Amino acid sequence: MSVATEEKRDLTAAALSHRGDRVFNRIITGCAFTALVVLAGITVFLGFQAFPVLQDQGISFVTTTAWDSFGTPPVYGIAGMLWGSLLLSVIALVIAVPVSLLLSIFLVFLAPKPVSKIFTNLIDLMAAIPSVIIGLWALYILQPTSVEWATLLNKYLGWIPLFDSNGNFIGSPFTAGIVLAIMMIPIVTSVTREVLGRTPPDLINASEALGCSMWTMLRYVALPYGRGGIVGGIMLGLGRALGETIAVFFVLKLVYDVNWFHILYSGGGSVATLIVAKFGDASGSLEQQVLLAAGFFLFAMTLIVNVIANLIVARTGRVKS
Amino acid sequence: MSTAEFEEIATTTEAMDAAVSATAEQRATEMEAKDVSIWFGQRKVLEGVNIAFPKRTTTALIGPSGCGKSTFIRTLNRLHELIPGAALAGQVLYEGEDIYDAKVDPVHIRLKIGMVFQKPNPFPSMTIRGNVLSGLKLSGLKRSNHDEIVEQTLTAAGLWAEVKDRLHSEAGALSGGQQQRLVIARSLAVQPHVLLMDEPCSALDPGSTLKIEETIRELSKDITIIIVTHNMQQAVRVADYTAFFLAVDGNPGHVVEQGPTTEIFGNPQDQRTLDYVNGRFG
Amino acid sequence: MTTIIFDETRVTTLQQQTAQKPWAAKTGKWKAAVVLAVIIPLAITLALMFATDLPKALIMVVIYLPIQLIAGALAATATRGRKNALDAMIIVVAIGATILSLVVLVSVVWAIIAKGIPVLSGAFVSQNMTYISPATPLGYGGIGHAVIGTVLIVLISAVIAVPLGVATAVYITEVRGKAVPYVRFFVQAMSGVPSVVAGLFILTVFILTGVLQTSAFAGALAYAILMLPTVARTAEEVLKLVPEDLRTGALALGSTRARVVLQVVLPAAKTGIITAAILGLARVVGETAPLLLTVGFTDKTVVNPLTEPISALPSFIFTYVSSPYPDAVARAWGAALVLMILVTVLFVVTRILTSRRPGR
Repeated sequence: MSVATEEKRDLTAAALSHRGDRVFNRIITGCAFTALVVLAGITVFLGFQAFPVLQDQGISFVTTTAWDSFGTPPVYGIAGMLWGSLLLSVIALVIAVPVSLLLSIFLVFLAPKPVSKIFTNLIDLMAAIPSVIIGLWALYILQPTSVEWATLLNKYLGWIPLFDSNGNFIGSPFTAGIVLAIMMIPIVTSVTREVLGRTPPDLINASEALGCSMWTMLRYVALPYGRGGIVGGIMLGLGRALGETIAVFFVLKLVYDVNWFHILYSGGGSVATLIVAKFGDASGSLEQQVLLAAGFFLFAMTLIVNVIANLIVARTGRVKS
Repeated sequence: MSTAEFEEIATTTEAMDAAVSATAEQRATEMEAKDVSIWFGQRKVLEGVNIAFPKRTTTALIGPSGCGKSTFIRTLNRLHELIPGAALAGQVLYEGEDIYDAKVDPVHIRLKIGMVFQKPNPFPSMTIRGNVLSGLKLSGLKRSNHDEIVEQTLTAAGLWAEVKDRLHSEAGALSGGQQQRLVIARSLAVQPHVLLMDEPCSALDPGSTLKIEETIRELSKDITIIIVTHNMQQAVRVADYTAFFLAVDGNPGHVVEQGPTTEIFGNPQDQRTLDYVNGRFG
Repeated sequence: MTTIIFDETRVTTLQQQTAQKPWAAKTGKWKAAVVLAVIIPLAITLALMFATDLPKALIMVVIYLPIQLIAGALAATATRGRKNALDAMIIVVAIGATILSLVVLVSVVWAIIAKGIPVLSGAFVSQNMTYISPATPLGYGGIGHAVIGTVLIVLISAVIAVPLGVATAVYITEVRGKAVPYVRFFVQAMSGVPSVVAGLFILTVFILTGVLQTSAFAGALAYAILMLPTVARTAEEVLKLVPEDLRTGALALGSTRARVVLQVVLPAAKTGIITAAILGLARVVGETAPLLLTVGFTDKTVVNPLTEPISALPSFIFTYVSSPYPDAVARAWGAALVLMILVTVLFVVTRILTSRRPGR
């Protein structure tokens, strides 16, 4: 039997009625929004620089290639750089995705536990190697070898426009793509290995009991189960590749014209590397502003890729049948 | 349990004595719940609870699982409001004042009304001594006689003899029963007037249980104790008063019957009480 | 049916049994097939390498790989049947991918060690580059100023990012405000900001406007942007592991929320928070691009974080690699070795701390 008139009081406010608690909460909440403040700050401040540049140069800023600081008016176009970043990323993906997948399959399904543990740590160590060191190694050790391979590719497959040459193989997107792949592999492998490792043992046992070969198990159980996480991991690696500056700086010759697909040509583009390369001797504030505008586009690109990647990885946290 | 069995237990425990002397004297009310109803969001889980808890007595709250006893006890020290969507109707009076009044500081009220939980929860990063004194540290109470407090509370909790030589060792190394007694000492260090206990012995072995019940009976001489328990023999052993909670078919829980323990177990008025104390459900 | 009683006389014989694994026995046929499948392609490849002067890369890819694949498939078919041929090929390429990755790792590490060690000396690590021109031979000058610079920048960055990161984690796990999903989203988004953009941001907002000089502090701010998400994410994981009843127990003792967090939850998660901080350090210690934009370059040892350019290991390496003087390049390798040692130490420490944590 309930009392006829009851005053129901919500207690959520009561929980914070201690004044010190309210202050504490406010401070902590403020700190937690640092991330938002920084992201918004980057968007605003870099966008602030990009907008006048776009106004001044028009949409040709992103659709043409030019770098004429002394002309009247000065003309800038980063189309070559934008496309270059994409091209490098594609090359890197083509190499890194199969290697990472195979590496993950080895670590999760083939290697005995102690071997798997050691190799996993080694691969994670690779992810920790600073890009300046990778760049240094790439300049002195990878480059000669990749030039040799490029020469071979051109010699035997040069009739395909993709492997066409302009006489020199140093500073080609090919080498830069390989370097990016090397930096991508540890990240993609780390995510893929975790995802594959989480395949429910029941499903694997079921396929073993049915007498399936490993390939069948991979194709019908492990890979479909981990599909979302793997794609997410690939995109995370892609995000890193797009933003990679220093390692590419050492092995890519920056050229403003768009290099559409001649990966063995000496000369390519990368927005990130452009910024670092030109900032030292940017003549005048307009050129500086242009580089800041380029930075804005880079930020936008990587932000979009990362957000999509995290959405995909987060969504596959829920179990799919 | 038959009347004969009950009398056998009752006549050999101090609870009987306490119950007798309680009815003989007029005791002041320490805490009182008046028409308390409790919600989780839209779901009403407890309805119209009216209980008075006299000073320096022990009251047991019994009843089957899920009928709101733990939720009720958490409204007595304002822990219920930590759950999102918590809501309340009615009053909870401590020394005559509603603890839910806007002027009352929940942090302060919890110094007066302490709580011991089902699973012992000493702080793992502190020593035994550190744990006992942690209540003082956490509530900002300044005391100069730390060693005295440590000895007094651990003695009252029945743990002093076992740990007096290792006060600086880790609290996590103690057994479950010892940890629970440590937690009781910790609660006592801030000198509460009321101690709430939510099934404090259900995770412990029988030996520790008896030790803690002994502690409860001793403590009851100085402070008011309200204990939720599933163990009816425990209620008989330690409690002066008992309240029987029941929730049926998804309806909100309520107090079916309450009174001196001897009456509830020996001569219950309601059929459901009779069934419960005789073990016919629960 | 009659009862059978255990025969005690058999006990001695039974005690002499040895543990075996009949399911793991490999037939002689299997062993032979594996050995052949590995040796024959290798032999052919090596023979071709020595006998002809076809480029090695060509031989590896065009000849060794297909032959090894076929050999593996044949071996599998011979021993286990056709179904497993595909499996064998997968095993071959998976092992191949692993070996390739390890070769790269070993190559990098080997290069650093081989080229860096000759340069290392007590003087190298302690002296700076004042009065030393790029052409000065090794033995004079060193990276002492760069080491100090790196330590200074990274420490200032930690002082900024670790409390903010832990506070963010505290918001998520303790305050549990309504904005928690948004905060987590922003932290994730922030972790994808390229290091060059972080440097660009600090440059634009603080240096170009004159608020800050090109200095260690500016670099530390850029590093802090990169460090914060790592610290926040790890700290969140660690705080979530603290049992809930510790918080409830503390509150029941009359503690304020602040004290619960500061005196109970954070101490309980001590090791994990240190791990989070070290992971954050490891994340930024080798980043070069932000430094190039915010801290400048110098030859002397600088301890003032606010008003002058400073040298740090990554920027040192970057600058000296581009030099035409071989000694300067050698110094860059030396610095790279020191940086690599630093990174490896941090890496090992975090692995040790993570493996000791309960619940992982």
